[in-house]
Amino acid sequence: MTKIFGEGPNQVKALDDVSFSVEKGEFVIVVGSSGSGKSTLLNMIGLLDRPTKGKVFIDGIDTTKLNDGKISAFRNKKLGFIFQFSNLLNDLTVLENVLLPRQIGGTNGSAKKDALELLQAVGLEDQINKRTNKISGGQAQRAAIARGLVNRPSIVLADEPTGNLDSVTSMKIVQLMKTMAKKLNQTFIVVTHDRKDFSDVDRIITIIDGRAFEGEQPTELEMVA
Amino acid sequence: MEYRLRLAKRMLFNKKGSLIGAVLAVTIGILVIHVNFVIFQGLFDAIVRDISNYRNGDILITDEADYIDKSDLALANWFERIPYVQGATPRLSSTAEINMTKNGKLIEETRIPVVGVDPDRDVRTSTVHETVAEGTYVINRNSVVLGSNVARDLGDAQVGDNLKLLITDRWGEDQVRNFRVAGIVQSPGGQGLDYSVVMHIDSLRDMMSREGESSSFMVKLNDPTKAYEVKEFFLRAFPNDDFLAETIEESAEEQLAGFRSGIAMINMIGYFGMMSSAFAIVTIQMMLVNGKTREIGVMRSIGAKRKDILIIFLFQGMIIGAIGAGVGTAAGLGYTFYAKETKMSFNNSLPLEVSYDWAKITQTALTSFTLAIIASLYPSYRATKLLPVEAMRTV
Repeated sequence: MTKIFGEGPNQVKALDDVSFSVEKGEFVIVVGSSGSGKSTLLNMIGLLDRPTKGKVFIDGIDTTKLNDGKISAFRNKKLGFIFQFSNLLNDLTVLENVLLPRQIGGTNGSAKKDALELLQAVGLEDQINKRTNKISGGQAQRAAIARGLVNRPSIVLADEPTGNLDSVTSMKIVQLMKTMAKKLNQTFIVVTHDRKDFSDVDRIITIIDGRAFEGEQPTELEMVA
Repeated sequence: MEYRLRLAKRMLFNKKGSLIGAVLAVTIGILVIHVNFVIFQGLFDAIVRDISNYRNGDILITDEADYIDKSDLALANWFERIPYVQGATPRLSSTAEINMTKNGKLIEETRIPVVGVDPDRDVRTSTVHETVAEGTYVINRNSVVLGSNVARDLGDAQVGDNLKLLITDRWGEDQVRNFRVAGIVQSPGGQGLDYSVVMHIDSLRDMMSREGESSSFMVKLNDPTKAYEVKEFFLRAFPNDDFLAETIEESAEEQLAGFRSGIAMINMIGYFGMMSSAFAIVTIQMMLVNGKTREIGVMRSIGAKRKDILIIFLFQGMIIGAIGAGVGTAAGLGYTFYAKETKMSFNNSLPLEVSYDWAKITQTALTSFTLAIIASLYPSYRATKLLPVEAMRTV
């Protein structure tokens, strides 16, 4: 897929003919320097934005053909998001934030039980009734992970999940994501500019100037091609 | 609780300034309507009340072509056997020229309205006797009661003064008689007989050569809501007479028509005020939406549909409308209660007829509630138009 921002002489090619596939259960990290197009790629996969050219298939479904309502439902059921700044809603408590995707999807049945289990798994069982602006950044990010996983999505997309955390907390968050990925057999696509936070992952995709390369360091031949 | 309602409530209550502003806008809109209603409808009702009490009663009987020639006794007895009727009394009207010597100076006033009353029946039917400021009401055929303005124009006529009254009778002959001033009437607000001379109806009949005739018959009811019923009953009972029976609304229509359209205009201004409140809500809600861009983006990214965002902000409009309508109505009722208890008067003279019009109160509250929801439509729509990826960029 290709994504172009702007028009005419102000056009910027954020993604340039990027094509790759990810298998179920893979833990993939997307690395690249700042402004390389990592987040744009994640937005395309997460259906938050549409590619200028090309298609995104998830579970065999061509998502570019879905209308806005179906995309929303698709995001709710199939995708989980973890953002750099946790992006929890400050108007809700930790538990309410985690429950939100279930409530939006209308699948309330065992929602509270599932949410509490996840909050226990991320070590926030004693913080569930706190407003999110009353907990630390690391705790907020852990709550965001719980929220991203509560619907048991096929793919979890994380955009710089440790970008705003200190190294100790970052390590804990990465470990937590890996544990959850294994436990729930979910696909994780994590965008990061700091490779060293993520050792022992299934795959690495490097984005350079909007182009995607397999592995950590593309060869000169790959770059030219 | 429905998560959208909870979110709407939390988002709103966590922005207390905006919430108070929006609620205040609705409250003020409602309060303006209530204040307008208390003052202008109160004034209108006060005028109706005074016209009814002093002049027309709840039902006014006249003759379509001429004077009523049926005897006072027959008509009054016919009415007073109806349980709803408090009293019925004849009235005879004319104009007079008055001469009076005051401090050696002759004062002459022309075209003064004269009202002939039956003192016994009048006190049961009208409240003119309650407006006697000095002296007494009409006590005999040789005394008159002056309206305060007439007394003033006659050089501050006092109780006990003598005056000469000239009335032209039905044959065109001038009839002159001397009277003694028995009292002076002055009504609060001046809606009574302040500009008239009140005298015994029989004296006036004599002077007008209209023995046993009346200009009108004033009927006062215990229950004014039965006016139409009594009127129809009366007209059915006297099908061969040329009686014209009018309820107070009908008989006072000419005097009230202008006032009625004035009230409609004032109400319109009130509703424009309410519309301004709606614009204030639009502005405040737009600020709320702009302040929640990130939250909207997050919600959209985790699967909220445009419809969900729309509902959240519409719920906010409902909450603002409900609280505003509640507070506004409470404030309006408080003002109405205050006006009623303190017997608020217009221009410090005419006591307003303050009433609780529950239909109007409910209609005002519902209108402002509906307007708040309508006002939140545009901001809610704008919220749904935010693209998740754009909204997330505001982080």
